[in-house]
Amino acid sequence: MTLPRSFKRALWVFHIATGSCNGCDIEIVAALTPRYDVERFGIMLTGTPRHADVLLVTGPVTRPMADRLKRIYDQTPDPKAVVVVGGCGCTGGVFYESYNTVGPVDEIIPVDVYVPGCPSRPEAIIDGVVKAVAKLETLEKSGVSG
Amino acid sequence: MGGINTGFGAWNPIAWTLLFLGVLIIGFFLRSLGRKDYKRGTDQTQPFLSGNPAPESPEALHVSGRNLYWGMIHGLAGYYERARKAHTGILSDYVAWFIGALGLVFVILFWIG
Repeated sequence: MTLPRSFKRALWVFHIATGSCNGCDIEIVAALTPRYDVERFGIMLTGTPRHADVLLVTGPVTRPMADRLKRIYDQTPDPKAVVVVGGCGCTGGVFYESYNTVGPVDEIIPVDVYVPGCPSRPEAIIDGVVKAVAKLETLEKSGVSG
Repeated sequence: MGGINTGFGAWNPIAWTLLFLGVLIIGFFLRSLGRKDYKRGTDQTQPFLSGNPAPESPEALHVSGRNLYWGMIHGLAGYYERARKAHTGILSDYVAWFIGALGLVFVILFWIG
C-alpha cells in the first residue's frame, strides 16, 4: 500500500453520525474550534467520503444507518482509516443490544482506532486520528496492501 | 496576426487559441494532482448521496431549474394557485382582465381627482 502525497500533506476527515446523541459530534466540532484548531495541522472535515482519508464514526449504528455506513465506507478511497468516537460506537454503550441498533460499528465495517468516552474529549479524538495515521504509515512501511 | 481591433474590443484567433491551450494545460495539470487510486466499477466512483443508493436512472439525479424554485412556489402556494386559475390561455379572458383593470385604474383616478 502506498499513501498518496496528498495524504502526507493534509488529512481529510469525513464524519458520520450513525444515530449518536450528538454529544460526540459536538466534541468533534470542538476539535475544530480555535482552542484546539486541528486545521492548523491540515486535519479538516470534508463534505464527501470520496475526498476523505479518515472516517470518524459516532453513534451505536441504528438499523436504518447500517446500510448507509457500509456504503459510505465503500465509497471512501483506499487507503483509509476508520476511527470510532464514543462509547456507543465502540461497544454499543447504553444502547447495547437495543432492538433498533445493529452496532457497535465494528459489526458493520472494519475499525482501526477506538476512542472511548461519553462523550470523548477533543484531545482524545485528535489522538485517535493521529493513531490512525500512524497505523496507516506502519502498513505502508510493511508493504501490506489496503 | 490577422486580428481585429475595433477600439471597443480586440479579436485575434491565434491569441485566443493560445489562451485556450493554456487553460487546457492548467486544467489537466490540476486534474493530475487529484487522487488516481479510485477503484473503478466499485462504489468509490459512485456519487455520494448522503449514503443513500444512487438511482438506476441518471435522469433521477437531474436537478432542474424547477427544483431551485420549489421552496418559493411552495411558500407562495396560495398566490400561485389563484394566478394559475387566472391564466386560462383564452384571449377573451385576458381582454376581460385588461378592461377590468383599466376600469379600476379610471375609477381610482376619478376618485382621487
